[in-house]
Amino acid sequence: MTKPGEIETVIRSLFREIYLGQHPGGVMPDLEPGSILLETGLDSLGFAILVTRLEDELGYDPFSLAAEAYYPQTFGELVAFYVAHCPQ
Amino acid sequence: MTIPPRLEDYLGRISPDRPALATATCTLTFGDILARAQSLRQAGLPERLALNSDDLCETVPVLVAADGVADRLLLASPGLEPIALADLCAQAGCPVMPSVDVPSVALLPDVAAPTAGSGRASDAGARETTWVLTTSGTTGAPKLVPHLLAGLIRSVRLDRIAEEDTVWGLLYDYTRFAGLQVVLQSLLSGACLAVPERTAGLGDRIRFLAAAGVTHLSATPTLWRKILMTAEHRLLQLRQVTLGGEIADAAILAALARAFPGARVSHIFASTEAGVGFSVTDGRAGFPVSYLDTPPSGIGLAVRDGRLFIRNMLAASTYLDGAPLSDAGWVDTGDMVEIEGGRVQFRGRASGVINVGGDKVAPAVVEAAVLAHPSVRLARIHARPNPITGALVAADIVLDPATTDLPALKADLTRFLAARLPRHMVPALIRFVEDLDVNPAGKIRRS
Repeated sequence: MTKPGEIETVIRSLFREIYLGQHPGGVMPDLEPGSILLETGLDSLGFAILVTRLEDELGYDPFSLAAEAYYPQTFGELVAFYVAHCPQ
Repeated sequence: MTIPPRLEDYLGRISPDRPALATATCTLTFGDILARAQSLRQAGLPERLALNSDDLCETVPVLVAADGVADRLLLASPGLEPIALADLCAQAGCPVMPSVDVPSVALLPDVAAPTAGSGRASDAGARETTWVLTTSGTTGAPKLVPHLLAGLIRSVRLDRIAEEDTVWGLLYDYTRFAGLQVVLQSLLSGACLAVPERTAGLGDRIRFLAAAGVTHLSATPTLWRKILMTAEHRLLQLRQVTLGGEIADAAILAALARAFPGARVSHIFASTEAGVGFSVTDGRAGFPVSYLDTPPSGIGLAVRDGRLFIRNMLAASTYLDGAPLSDAGWVDTGDMVEIEGGRVQFRGRASGVINVGGDKVAPAVVEAAVLAHPSVRLARIHARPNPITGALVAADIVLDPATTDLPALKADLTRFLAARLPRHMVPALIRFVEDLDVNPAGKIRRS
């Protein structure tokens, strides 16, 4: 079982890798719980890659597990979404 | 031969005082548009012109003036790099149109006019204008596609004028097919079209549309997912939510119904091969299996060998060169479908083309680029389903056995591909494998 803190660490690390892949030599934005995802500089292709890489890394995809369709707006909501759907 | 109505004729049906366009910098009524078009014609229009202006208040009067007068009208994306646009103009060798701030170019010679447009009236003031749009080809290179106004407005209901407060929002590039559909739908129905600044962030564009009182909005499923990721989407009071350009999954349809409880949610399926489309408004993915027996008006639907066929009684039975196109009006859409729980569900393209957030990718093109890397021996390109963009491009790669530093090779390969392919075609997921399955014909198994 993955702890909430570990999930956030994995998300941050993959976010950074994908962001820097999209912006070579760029400066990684600060990710606060209230950071608006669409304003972080990662585009929809970047998010799509993040979700798939997270599925490979964590072993689940909350977007397909969630009973109700949900699209997080902030970094905090994204992390909470992954924590809430982590298989027990 | 009779000349069909011109764009000007359609706009003349609308009360001139009604607002037609609202951008960040200007508003125009239907009367304003017609008056501007009239003065543009009096100033003289070139036979062939290209538009790439960012400003719809400038562009729409030119479209109205040119349709039925100009020979060809090319719509080039305002986002096009100046070099690419200049290249187009240079190839054509045409001067900039003097009366408005748009360049005028002749078209590349390989663009054929649609056959129905070949009949021209002798009167130069009455002719059917060929609208030329760009489409992103599966290879990443844009293709030029000719259309006639009659075809572009096929899905617009001309017998109804929109209610006074109807406002369409434009989130697409108006020079692309989907965007032009929204522009024409709004103008021909007498609605107001609200156009946010193209370069503004999505949240700001949604805020602008909400302030403009948008009631009708069309976007791809990928763009709708992004819209729901903005806080501003709560400001929208929509009556019509339209999805098109990609497969609409149950999750996005449910999320939209919840976010916009007062709206009708429609997803559109269109086949360019069959020249027709239909919309599904019951809020569920796919379409009811009952459509196979009682289809939407004007078409027929059938599933043969897991592929969707559409019958359009108006479809040509042969290509121009005489090759058979349809069998008694039945056209293969190239879409794979499955019947599940009383619904016909879309499962992707039979050709293997991957749809990444609305951008089409031909696996063979990606495969060729991957194989061009000196360390790559074999490659298999496939789609990986994704809840944000529908699909991503994935690659399974067999490397030269002499390769030792895998992370360095992966970084080098990514740079190599980024320099050769548009972003959406670069494999987002690369897996190095020992070997790939080969079928008895010696080909890599793609599925």
